[in-house]
Amino acid sequence: MPDGIDAPRETATRRKLSRRNYARSYWLFILPAGVVVAAVILFPWAFTLFMSLQDMHVGSAMSFAGLANYRRMLDDDRFLWAILRTLYFTSLSVFFPTIIGVAAAVCFNKHFPLRSLARTIFILPMMATPVAVALVWTMMFHPQLGVLNYLLTSAGLPPSTWVYDSATVIPTLVMVETWQWTPLVMLIVLGGLASLPADPYEAAQLDGANGWQCFRHITLPLVWPFILVALVLRAVDALKAFDTIFVISGGGPGTSSETLNLYLYQQAFAYYDIGFASAIVVVFFALIMLVTLLLMRRRSATS
Amino acid sequence: MSRHRWRRIAGRIGLAFSVFVLISPALLFFLWMLSLSLKTEADNVAYPPVLIPSELTLDNFREVFAKNDFAGYTLNSMIVSFSATGLALLVGVPAGYGIAKARASASAALILVARITPGLSYLVPLFRLFQWLDLTGTLLPIVITHLVITVPIVVYVMIGFFEGLPNELEEAALVDGATIWQAFRRVALPLARPGITVATILSFIFSWNNFVFAVVLAGRTSRTLPVAVYNTLTFEQISWGPLAAAALLVTAPVLLLTLLMQREIVAGLTAGGVKGG
Amino acid sequence: MLRRRTFLTGSSSLLAAPAAIRRTRADPVFDWQQCKGQSIVIAMSKNPRADVMQQHQKEFEALTGIKVESEQMPEQQQRQKMVLELSTGRPSFDVAHVSLHVSKRIIGQGKWLADLRPYLANPQLTSPDFDFADFSKPSIEAATQPDGVLDSVPLESDFWLVYYNKELLAKKAVKVPETFEDMLAGARTLTDKASGTYGFVGRGLRNANVPVWSNFVLGEDQAFVTPDGKTLLTDTPGAIAAAQTYQAIMRDCAPPGVVGFNWNECQTSFMQGKIGMWMDGVGFTPPLVDPKKSKIADHVGFAVMPAGPEAHACSVFTDALGVVSKSKNKDAAYLYIQWATGKQMLLNLVRAGGGASPRLSTYADPELLKDSPFGREWLATLLASAKMARPGLPEIVPVTEFRDVFGVALTNMIGGADPAVELRKATDAFKPVLEKSLQG
Repeated sequence: MPDGIDAPRETATRRKLSRRNYARSYWLFILPAGVVVAAVILFPWAFTLFMSLQDMHVGSAMSFAGLANYRRMLDDDRFLWAILRTLYFTSLSVFFPTIIGVAAAVCFNKHFPLRSLARTIFILPMMATPVAVALVWTMMFHPQLGVLNYLLTSAGLPPSTWVYDSATVIPTLVMVETWQWTPLVMLIVLGGLASLPADPYEAAQLDGANGWQCFRHITLPLVWPFILVALVLRAVDALKAFDTIFVISGGGPGTSSETLNLYLYQQAFAYYDIGFASAIVVVFFALIMLVTLLLMRRRSATS
Repeated sequence: MSRHRWRRIAGRIGLAFSVFVLISPALLFFLWMLSLSLKTEADNVAYPPVLIPSELTLDNFREVFAKNDFAGYTLNSMIVSFSATGLALLVGVPAGYGIAKARASASAALILVARITPGLSYLVPLFRLFQWLDLTGTLLPIVITHLVITVPIVVYVMIGFFEGLPNELEEAALVDGATIWQAFRRVALPLARPGITVATILSFIFSWNNFVFAVVLAGRTSRTLPVAVYNTLTFEQISWGPLAAAALLVTAPVLLLTLLMQREIVAGLTAGGVKGG
Repeated sequence: MLRRRTFLTGSSSLLAAPAAIRRTRADPVFDWQQCKGQSIVIAMSKNPRADVMQQHQKEFEALTGIKVESEQMPEQQQRQKMVLELSTGRPSFDVAHVSLHVSKRIIGQGKWLADLRPYLANPQLTSPDFDFADFSKPSIEAATQPDGVLDSVPLESDFWLVYYNKELLAKKAVKVPETFEDMLAGARTLTDKASGTYGFVGRGLRNANVPVWSNFVLGEDQAFVTPDGKTLLTDTPGAIAAAQTYQAIMRDCAPPGVVGFNWNECQTSFMQGKIGMWMDGVGFTPPLVDPKKSKIADHVGFAVMPAGPEAHACSVFTDALGVVSKSKNKDAAYLYIQWATGKQMLLNLVRAGGGASPRLSTYADPELLKDSPFGREWLATLLASAKMARPGLPEIVPVTEFRDVFGVALTNMIGGADPAVELRKATDAFKPVLEKSLQG
């Protein structure tokens, strides 16, 4: 720092100058990540759009097909069912984890002995490797030798066919999804609960409100933005669910658990129809965007 | 007065019961996994199922190592997850800083798009690209695709941390004539070390767990652990023991990391769900 | 075509002549060591055939000095992965273990495997005792592409038969079925849901279930497509009748959850001793008779596929080995195939119960006849099946899609849907796919 009487003025100018540089130079910080993202995300998009307009199969020549791949979807029952099934799976896989996750967050927000251990055990399912977990679930679902049917029959309930029946397969997969992803909802809501002010509760207690009333009228409105974040993330993840469904049911029995993601995999890597698969990717992405934006709009509307 | 006490006790019992109900599915699941991996074949197919093994055996683990190149796959997984995490830190930490300081929400939104894009949709074009570049069968394509998971995680965690840091220290450094880069290097970065730890752990875990990229892109020598385990699926007879042992081996590092670093992980995830893929 | 083939044969033997002469002088036997020091990779499909090849791998390495790396992958993944890798032009393997009934045409279309006719005709590369003429005619037909290219050598013919639990059948005085009608009636008698006993088990899982239906269809003296591969026959009265049989036996006589069963789940259930009959490929025998794995090891019976109303046939699926066109060590890869499909190895395969050999000489082997590894009944069933075997799946490019579309129809039938309606729906859905593949 230079000595002199006009130093303060000089510093002020420099500060102003560096402020300006400062703002511009931030782009240099973002640039490398921007390049990586563009390379691994934008390129595939552009290429996918291109391929979706081609008649393209592994092992044979490519030709321009216009919108034929998109038109084909309208007549493709399997595709249309996959969309409905994806929405069905998603709505259940958002509903249950959200309800249980909020309840769990309320519990884990209280102080009790061994709280951090209990919380860690609770989040293990979402940290564990999905494929490994899915394999163990598969063994547990075995209709004759699986431990789950043993537990059901010991409790006096009839055994279930789990993933071996088209009526029970999606609820069963939702159960796995709930087991795995409720912790994420819990953590996000827990973050919200931790930031709550104490005064409204004290006031309410003076007014003689009970626990449920406190929760309903104070906690819930205050953590609602956090719940909505969790909801959006849950919806996106459920739409994209792949690993567990792929390993546990493979989309079966028949196509009764074939979601869009699984159908897409089948078209691309089992039937080698790259053009049609690319068109499905485009529609699938549009669907995810739509659901996300709808939920986000609700979020900004409420907040 | 006593009514109040009763209510408190009832509340305590209710809470204990709720916590028990909440954690038992996770607890029982992992115990059952452990039990399957330590039991003999006879115990594993017994009905009613046997929870406490009649005899403990490590044969299942031995079989996993004897039948597969498990060490090689572990090495692959290590290389992929470490490289993808390292590269993501390299570009993601400065990006998080830049976005936090410049309040560049558009850039943040672009990276959010990476969060919502289904992993499968990258695969077809990237597979073609790697084929054209003659890279299929090597680990490089897998590392590159894993950046799709790790970069958003690192950027998101770092944005949160840098936003939480007080501005005064850097401003002071700038006033003292430091360049922006120096202010970042010398002031912000050391303060953000806990954030970097969180970002590293989370990005490592979710890269380790990823299945879908390697299932398509990996060849015989470039396979990662989750794919290798999926491939050992053999139902010649019910060989649940080795399968459970293999599953346990794959996920054990992640579970241990979670148990050891639970505070950091909870902090990172609470900041905003980051799961990728 | 014929002229070209003769030309190739002629020229290659001409070229090989000096070397052959030199060798005859130094060493009268075939030079197995000619590719010494090279290394090759074999991509195997996980099945009993692959086990046998791996068990004897060291012998090949000692014989040839070639280093072999081999790997088994579950068949569904292996089939997909193999085609994807071949399509990149940079596969990580030199020898491909191909399920001809699934991947033959797509591989032929891409010309991913080398034409083996020049190799076979070359005495420097093919040992005189390989005896190519020994392979059964249907197996060579299965390995030959429509344009005459032979791009693989048959490794195994998997005949379908009926495994049965002798004890259960005896208890209820059910006879070994001779017709599908007998089988259905017998299975009904055996089924006692209260005690968890079921008369029948077969694949219900989408895609995997089509070969079961296929056997019923063959019994109607039918195929899935016309011989030219262009017109679907999947909604004819015969196909519908076959589907009705499938539906009846799977709904009434199979254990709960069968709709999710592939062969492995069927095998597991059957070995637990509560299933009367299981219809599947002959290659799944060994675990059934292994007392360590099976509760019914000493009373498994083997029966030829029962007769249908119109014909008596069983389906056959062929596994083969091919040399990757882009391989850098094609000669070494060919030597491996020659060894793996040689007389001794195929005898080993049958002895190990890995399936049926496509070579006729295997069944003339005096020792095999004297003490067949799984008893006389097993060998007799194998021999009888060989005589009535027909391909179980159509030879078209989109086989996987065929199996998926009709597989779904079959799973729906297990769920109670009407066979005629389902088959018509599936046929309509698959028709454009087939037409598309014929244009390509």
